[in-house]
Amino acid sequence: MKSRVKIEDISKPSKKLTHLDIDDLMPLPPPYDKIEEQPGWKALSEDALENLETSLDDTIAIGIPKPKTQEEEKELVKKFLSGLEKLLTRENNWTFLQPLLLSLEHCAKCQTCTKACPIYEASGKQDIYRPTYRSEVWRRIVHKYLKPGGKFFGRLSHGDIDLNWTTVARLMELSYRCTLCRRCAQTCPIGIDNGLITHELRKVFSQEMGIAPKELHEKGSVLQLEVGSSTGMNAEVVKDNIEFIDEDMKDLTGIEVHTPWDKEGADVLLIHNAGEILAWPENPGAFAIVLEKAGISWTLSSDIAAYDGINYGLWYDDFQLGRVAIKHAEAAKKLGVNRIVVAECGHAHKALTVIADRVLTGDFNIPRVSAMTLLEDIVFSGKIKFDPSKNDFPVTLHDPCNMVRLMGIVEPQRRILRYLCPQFREMEPHGVDNYCCGGGSGFAIMSGHNFQDWRLAVSGRMKLKQVIEAFDDHPEPETKKYLCAPCSNCKGQLRDLFRYYGVQEKSGIIYGGLVELIVNAMVDIKQPFINFDEMQ
Amino acid sequence: MSVIQILIYAAVLVFLVTNITRFIRMASTPIHLRWELYPVAHDVKRFKYGGSFLEESDWYTKKLHKSMLGEIRVMLPEIFLLKGVWEYNRSLWLWSFTFHIGLYLLTALIFVLILGGIIIGPNIFNVEAGYGSLSTIGQIIHSLSYAMLIAGCAIGTIGTLGLIIKRSTDREMSSSSSFGSYFNLFFIAAIFISGLVFLFSGSAVDKLIKCYYSLITFQPMPNLGAAFAVHAVISGLFILYLPFTHMTHFFMKYFTYHKVRWEDTPNIRGSKLEKKIQEQLSYPVTWSAPHINADGKKNWADIATEEVKKDEK
Ligand code: SF4
Ligand code: SF4
Repeated sequence: MKSRVKIEDISKPSKKLTHLDIDDLMPLPPPYDKIEEQPGWKALSEDALENLETSLDDTIAIGIPKPKTQEEEKELVKKFLSGLEKLLTRENNWTFLQPLLLSLEHCAKCQTCTKACPIYEASGKQDIYRPTYRSEVWRRIVHKYLKPGGKFFGRLSHGDIDLNWTTVARLMELSYRCTLCRRCAQTCPIGIDNGLITHELRKVFSQEMGIAPKELHEKGSVLQLEVGSSTGMNAEVVKDNIEFIDEDMKDLTGIEVHTPWDKEGADVLLIHNAGEILAWPENPGAFAIVLEKAGISWTLSSDIAAYDGINYGLWYDDFQLGRVAIKHAEAAKKLGVNRIVVAECGHAHKALTVIADRVLTGDFNIPRVSAMTLLEDIVFSGKIKFDPSKNDFPVTLHDPCNMVRLMGIVEPQRRILRYLCPQFREMEPHGVDNYCCGGGSGFAIMSGHNFQDWRLAVSGRMKLKQVIEAFDDHPEPETKKYLCAPCSNCKGQLRDLFRYYGVQEKSGIIYGGLVELIVNAMVDIKQPFINFDEMQ
Repeated sequence: MSVIQILIYAAVLVFLVTNITRFIRMASTPIHLRWELYPVAHDVKRFKYGGSFLEESDWYTKKLHKSMLGEIRVMLPEIFLLKGVWEYNRSLWLWSFTFHIGLYLLTALIFVLILGGIIIGPNIFNVEAGYGSLSTIGQIIHSLSYAMLIAGCAIGTIGTLGLIIKRSTDREMSSSSSFGSYFNLFFIAAIFISGLVFLFSGSAVDKLIKCYYSLITFQPMPNLGAAFAVHAVISGLFILYLPFTHMTHFFMKYFTYHKVRWEDTPNIRGSKLEKKIQEQLSYPVTWSAPHINADGKKNWADIATEEVKKDEK
């Protein structure tokens, strides 16, 4: 066991607060158990070490430039503190004030939550990744620096901490070592939410200090609001791409589909995560086939942001979240659709359906439903004929945290899989107790410096273990197996995870969405829709 | 009036006023964005597996039913059996459970003794002096109080000492413990242990009933001995101190569970909830990152709809 890192150590300048070795990490099941065969992580470049804040651990998620002068450091610390203060006011933070205050005041420090955290467990229980570590740092700062008499009472009752630039820079990075999966919150007997605290800290850094990982901000929500999608596709490009996909679907399945754009008065406005269109075109293609075959009146929208369901603000900035959600709702309002259906993207589900629910008022408040439920209706409607024997290979299901633990959409996808996949089996734990894929809260799209290595070696480790164990009756690579992950971000993480560990070669497992399994089981499709050899 | 009596009145007053104020303050914080966590207990039908109304494609056309009974059914084992700790932190459970049972018994004893003070208080002095005897109900209260006192203090002592040892030896717990964490435990241990000492000093329940009788009738409290005084002062100080600590979770759990974890009310057009949200959307914002574009005058809605307005121009 490594030497302890105490809460107050975060303020003490050193080269690294924690250093991880591969053999510290949670062991993996065979054939991934040999430490010498595990890829590990690249060292940070000299340039990064020299110019960026790298003193938390072995990686960086944000890449905060080192302040040049002490004045600059002081200014940043001051800003951080003013942000913390705003976080505790009704006007600036009505969105989360109540749950935040509850989490500020009532933690019993029992550490029940620590056992639930996949990052803490997978890291071999490194102190700084404990769900309560960053929460305690925050609590101590608030009690010492923002409460009357805090320098004496706050210190005494909550413990000491020094607020300096080292503390702020490390805390900033540390707020990106948690996937906001909220598994810890689920186990807290009091109802304290360490995931929420991480979320709120990220907000201080973004909303007050203007600091966030560029993949989430500049290349994420900002690009989406400017161009239409974080993929950089404008409306013309996305339409072209969908046209290609329609053609491919015809070649592959013989079924002619014409994805409708901007159809006024349609029943359903379907919103995909636009990443699907580029990375997994068979997913939007399969949606088009199923919706057409079921006779659903549907459309896509070519309005800015409305052809991309992502909403990265969910993870770091309430205002970016609100702006994007309003653009989604506006497109639906303009077309006069009855409902928005969010396709296979977990965070898009939660952002638009649940979190933005109390932002969208008046005629922006258009019903939002999950594609899981629409697909279930279609599969059991009798409008499409299925032959489940076409899916007669081992299938397991990954539960995206946003869709399942945080929205309670648990059964529709399972009812489909139990019906269409004779060898469906659950991984353990599953449903609302699932483990995050390790790519949650933006990690799946964050790959700067060596962050990708960290998210695959550490934050995705628990998921890999679960997946391998779900198929332990058929470990041989010759038996083709399917991991169903009805979420774009999870798929992004799984794609990287599978490549990193060579899962397809070593275990014969591929990953994909839910709708692909539905199309694969359709009687009308002559050749398999899911191609185990081509998928990657 | 004795110092002890004044201390107890002050403690009770501060306890009530502070806790009620904290409750009201928490209740009047703005309505937050939905942040529920499944399973949600009032959805009785789907609680078992953690499902929600969002599992239906036409959820927005249906009236949603929330079962308060469903929530109570989950909260009771949580409060009295510490079910969450049992499920997720078994090695802590025995100590936490005995600690809480000790506190629950002593808290319940307060109410039994209030009853005792009213029913047998006037008589207790006579009985002690050798006239008359206690009524049946009086005897029941007397015996029950005795049992609760001894069980509460003994079980509570075991739990608290167990928690102190666990906290100081467990790597995870000791890493996040502060002076305050131990102080609270030692404080509570002192209540239990001084309670045991008081109990063995003789006629403890009679003394307690006299104490409560004096408190209820605002009559001067007789001298009830040193052991009583120590126990009463420690308990009084604790009652005074508790509202300023995290231990108010005993009632704040109403918010953490009912108002956050299980708060899944959808926003319906034209509803009271929508009106409240619209009001909150008009709060002025002062966040200072450049992309927020706040100036202290623009409100939340102005900022969030900026992009839409840009298109309209
Ligand atoms: S967050 Fe909850 S489970 Fe974790 S230490 Fe605090 S009270 Fe215990
Ligand atoms: S939200 Fe998830 S990743 Fe973050 S601390 Fe909790 S359990 Fe760990």
